[in-house]
Amino acid sequence: MSSDELVFERTIELPDMIAYAGATWDWHRLHYDMSYLREIDLDRPVVDGQVFGAYLAIAIREWFGPDAVITALSLRFKNLVFAGETIRCLGRTAVEEPGRVELDLRVETTTGRIAVAPASATVQLP
Amino acid sequence: MTLLTEALRARIGEERVYVAPEPLGRAAIRYFALATGDTDPAHLHGEVAPPTLICETNQYANLPRDADGHAGHGWHLEVPGTRLVRGGNAYRFERPVGPDDVITARWRLADMTERVTGAGRRMLVVTSVATYTDQNDRILAVNEETLIYVER
Repeated sequence: MSSDELVFERTIELPDMIAYAGATWDWHRLHYDMSYLREIDLDRPVVDGQVFGAYLAIAIREWFGPDAVITALSLRFKNLVFAGETIRCLGRTAVEEPGRVELDLRVETTTGRIAVAPASATVQLP
Repeated sequence: MTLLTEALRARIGEERVYVAPEPLGRAAIRYFALATGDTDPAHLHGEVAPPTLICETNQYANLPRDADGHAGHGWHLEVPGTRLVRGGNAYRFERPVGPDDVITARWRLADMTERVTGAGRRMLVVTSVATYTDQNDRILAVNEETLIYVER
């Protein structure tokens, strides 16, 4: 969408998911075990939804710079994302005050499926 | 029969406290940054944690994995005939987290509400609040988490 000011793109491959599972000490088989996935009628590992919080934080700091401080971040999960898919973090400024902005955010796949929405953040600026 | 039984309702207000067995560590911070593709030098050098790390990790819990591989906090609610999906998170970040911080996570079962999905299925919305503090009992972050048990 042309009105979005933030566009951050990331392809999430299985090695990224393995790394994230290790980094968060969360080894749930939903994220890698094909036998289990077939049992629940899925054909690919599911991306851990929590990682979208981390991606949004990265996107925000890339947008506003490393001295920006995120004081609040909220997100609601809409749809699953699967290994190999590419996601975009999108955002626009909703409220702008001296030293502070509030952002409207969302995450969607490049095929147009909404993964996270609504999402929002409050950022303190230097 | 309601999803929100009296037995479940009676659990509202429960708390669980987890104290990390060691400081967060530079390596853990760097690993999280690498895993998420974070290029901030302060994160990659392990000097300060990315803001969501302590809310997303199970590192502090020091729990064995369950049969599904999950090694984090859970209330282990019994809601027959449902499947569990993530609802969302609302994070509040109070102060930077460093590698020397020893995390305590205090989880509270804040609320359970029964609703109906747009497709007419009943669901139980479970809200938990986790407060993360450091070794000096300073609040680092607060995480309001929603999990949803949706009727199959």
